[in-house]
Order: sequence, then C-alpha cells, then structure tokens
Amino acid sequence: MKPSLEVRIAGLTLRNPVLVASGIIGYGREYERLVDLERIGGIVTKTVTLHARAGNPPPRICETPSGMLNSIGIENPGLQGFLEQKVPILRELPCAAIVSVEGEDVGEFCELVRGVDGSGAAHAIEVNISCPNVGPHGLRYSTDAGMAREVMNAIRPLTRLPLIAKLTPNVTRIAEIAQACEDCGADAVSLVNTFIGMAVDARARRPILGTVLGGLSGPAIKPLALAKLWETVQAVDIPVVGMGGIARPIDAVEFLLTGATAVEVGTAMFANPALPEDCVGAIEQAVAALPSAHVEDLIGALEVPEGRGVIRAGKAARREAGRHAS
Amino acid sequence: MNLVSCSVVSNHEVSAGNFLITLQVPRSFARPQPGQFVHLRVGEDIEPLLRRPYSLEGFTERGALRAVRVYFSVVGRGSGVLARQEKGTKLDLIGPLGIGFTPRPRRVPILVAGGRGVAPLLFLSRRLRERKRPYVFLFGARSRTDLYGVREIRGGRLHLATDDGSIGYEGSVLDLLEREWTGARHTPLTAEIFTCGPHGLLHAISDFARERGIRCEASLEGPMACGVGACRGCPVPLLPGPDSGRYPAMCVEGPVMDATIVDWARLP
Repeated sequence: MKPSLEVRIAGLTLRNPVLVASGIIGYGREYERLVDLERIGGIVTKTVTLHARAGNPPPRICETPSGMLNSIGIENPGLQGFLEQKVPILRELPCAAIVSVEGEDVGEFCELVRGVDGSGAAHAIEVNISCPNVGPHGLRYSTDAGMAREVMNAIRPLTRLPLIAKLTPNVTRIAEIAQACEDCGADAVSLVNTFIGMAVDARARRPILGTVLGGLSGPAIKPLALAKLWETVQAVDIPVVGMGGIARPIDAVEFLLTGATAVEVGTAMFANPALPEDCVGAIEQAVAALPSAHVEDLIGALEVPEGRGVIRAGKAARREAGRHAS
Repeated sequence: MNLVSCSVVSNHEVSAGNFLITLQVPRSFARPQPGQFVHLRVGEDIEPLLRRPYSLEGFTERGALRAVRVYFSVVGRGSGVLARQEKGTKLDLIGPLGIGFTPRPRRVPILVAGGRGVAPLLFLSRRLRERKRPYVFLFGARSRTDLYGVREIRGGRLHLATDDGSIGYEGSVLDLLEREWTGARHTPLTAEIFTCGPHGLLHAISDFARERGIRCEASLEGPMACGVGACRGCPVPLLPGPDSGRYPAMCVEGPVMDATIVDWARLP
C-alpha cells in the first residue's frame, strides 16, 4: 500500500505534512534551485507587514552552540509591495502558499488579512503574533491571551482562508494562548517561534546582535519546542503545526508523534536545503510501517505511560473549569 | 548557482593558522568570477550549524576536472573544522554566489589587499593577466610570512607593505596607495580601486576614494545564514544617499560593492 501523507488543516489540504517555516526561503523564488517544492507540503512566506520595513541594524545573526540568534526585524516590502512583487511568485508555486502577516495593532492585522485574502494567492494565513524582533508589538499579542483574542476576533470574520496563529514560546503557559486563539476562531496554531536569547562578546564588552536581544532557533531549541508542543496538543482540539529545531529527518517524525499535524522546517535548512524533502522521506518511511499506512495514525501516536506528562492547562482542566463555571 | 557536492583535493597550512584548501567540484558548478563566493558546509555535523561564506582564491579547469580554491585563516569553530578536513573528504557547497569585481575597460586596476583579504584579489589579478591587462597590486600585511601568494602576482606592478617592516615598505598599505596615486599621476578617469581586507582598512580606502571621486569596489566579509538573499541576515548599512533607506544583502548585492556608499562605521 502506498503510504498516504495527506493532512488537512481546516480547508487546507497538504500533500504531506512538511512546510518550510517563515523567514527561511523568502517567498520561494530565492530557493527555487535548491529545494524541490513539488515534494513538500508548502511554504510559509516571510512575514508581511502593512508598511515596508528595512529591518534591524547589523549584526542581525549570530551562531550559537547548535543554534542561531537572529534579529532580522521583518525586513519586507510591505503589503503593497507584497501584492505587486510577491503574489505573482506565489501563484506559480507548486505547493501550498501560506502567507505570514504581522500587524502593529488590530487595525493593521485586519488590513493585512483583507489584502492577503483579496490577493487570491494564499492557501492559508499564518498570523504572526509572536515575532520577538519588532519591538513590543508582536510579543504583546501572543504573551497576553486577552490581546490574542482581540486580534483573532477582529480578523476571523474577514476571511474564509484557514487562519493559523503562530505562537511564541516566551510565555509561562503557551496552552492558555493557544486556547484563546482556538476560542476565537483560529483553525490551527503553529509553534514555536524563536526563544528570546542574547549573545555577548566578552572581549569587546558588547552584545553581539545590533538589537542586543534576538530569537534563538536551531537544534538547540528542539527539546524546548517539543515540550511546548506537548503542552499545547493536550490543551486544544484544533490542529497544531509544530516547529523548532528540526535538523534531522527523524526530528519531523518526533514532532508528528508528539501530536503535530504538520511541521515547519527552519534554520537547519540553511545548512541543508534538502532537509524538508528528507523529512518527507522519513515520514513516508514511518507511515509505511503502520498497518493503515496513513499519516493520521502517526500523529499523536506517542506512547506515554498513563498519567505521565500530563499538563494541568490541558483540555481536561479546561473542561473541568467549564463545568465549575456552569 | 547550485548546491553541489565537492571533495577535498588538498588542504595545506601555508603559514601559521592560514590554510589553502582545494575542492573538486562537478561540471554543474558554473565558472565563477573573481570576488564571488561559495557557501561551504565545513563538515557533516549539526555543529557548527551554519555554512561559511568564502571568497574564492581561484578556480581551475583541466579537461573535465574543475576545482575551486579557498584561502582561509582559522578564526573560529567553522574554520577550525575546515582546517582538519583531509584529502578525499566529501563536503558540499552552494555557488558561485554573489557579485564579483567589475573592472571597466581602459582604466588601470589598482588592487589593494590587506592580510588574508588578498584571496579574491589574487583571483582577479590572474584574470587580468589572462586578458593581458596591466594592473597595480598593493599588498599589506603584518609580516612577510603573511604575504600569501606574492610569487603568483605576475603581469602587474607589485608593491609590498608590512607592519613590522620585514619586507617592503614599513607601514600601512594605505600609504602605498597614496604614493601610487600621486606618484603615477592616476586620475579617476584613468584608474580604479579594487580592495579586500579588514573592514578598518576598507573604511580608510573608501574614504580615500570618495574624497577624490575614484571608483572603488570592496569585497565585504560577514556572517551569512542562507547566502542567497532569502533570510536577510547580512545587511550592509549605507551612507545617507538615494539608497540609504534600505539594507542591501551582502550575499546577493555583494560581497563586492561600491565601497564609497557603504557606511563602514556601522558595519561590524
């Protein structure tokens, strides 16, 4: 039996659960000679903001042990530039195009969602409420469940495209934010964005990044990301897209087993552009070994001893809270 | 530009801490221009995580065999791993990448090298020699042992400078440039500058060029993540001017750029 890798996120059907994360390959064209997009599920674009952004001053990147700090600052052409220059590229992509957007306030989020919806080039929208590199705005929306609600409530009526809320791990309880997004109409959540980090040049007595703080990604964060994923899948019923530190093909299988419906591959692609395709291969192999040969039976199939690893912010806790309330 | 596998043909320590590695590349690797770079994966491990961008010291083609050469110093984890790669080891690289040097016809190219920044300029000098174009090569380093490739510089006029005076002029290569410029009566219409080296030196040379209206291209160095213009991790700050509202990516709008528009003070 040929293994079936197709997954669905609300109205979005992916040929397989492997996506390229936002900020890694731009809008697809920059990497067209390095990655075979026909073999992967889709790409998430570089985040689009309402107005063009020049990005942060250098240095913007710094390699760390098994990881990388970045403070790019969402350099992008803005919504108008995106519609004019990038939409034609997205239309030609041989895979799903998920457009990432980030607003500085609720009004901007609304304009962006309307614009991207109207472009007709997006298969879904990833709502980036979690970038650590654009001042307090992004993190404000995903460290505060109330503000996440405000954004999701405002944009939900504006589009029928699947809305995927991208969450920051820089919170005490990521599950609470995920639940807030679910309550307000998110079709899925994706996590994790980068962990806030810092690097210091002791000899120069200076921070290495131009913005002092940046976001940590790469294999160093994989165990942290898996824990956040584990916490979240116990708390929500909508699909969860997992990412954070995938660097070997088998890592993608680990995320699916933990409960991710799809995965996003990021930083490690800089070293190995074929990594997303290799991840598809690893998932295919794992699925082929299942009696059903269907990827659905891999997702969340982690065998956890009864009662272990339960996180109190889980679905059960919420249902319990609901009962008390009623 | 392609992702190609390559194998180490040789890897020698030519002076203390400085290596020349030769990598055989397949025919799908396009002929590079002097000043272009390759984004090299220095080993198979996850650590170090990122590729390393290296300007090419040279490119050779003999029959079906193609090879690139990289001259590098051991300065950190990536170069440390690369220095240990032995003959026969398989690596991979993306390239050739970026914009190289673009000499204009009928102008004397003045090549100004500082330390290991000599690498892409050696490549350029060989190309100029092949085209039988006269050039001037000014090469400064800390000491005579750091003057890599001097014997290779033929077909041009060569002047050396060392900080310790162990050979050539004792002092900065910038002094050599000033002397050359006035001594040979160059003008912005008859000569242009191509340079690579520590950013402090490039800063000084670009000031020299801007004050006199000389066309000056410099090869920049810095960390890169993707190497192909996607991640925006290698911004080049520009001086106030028509283009200063944006950050060109060093990997696709460089590494060779018009030195006179770069804001060197803000470039790490």
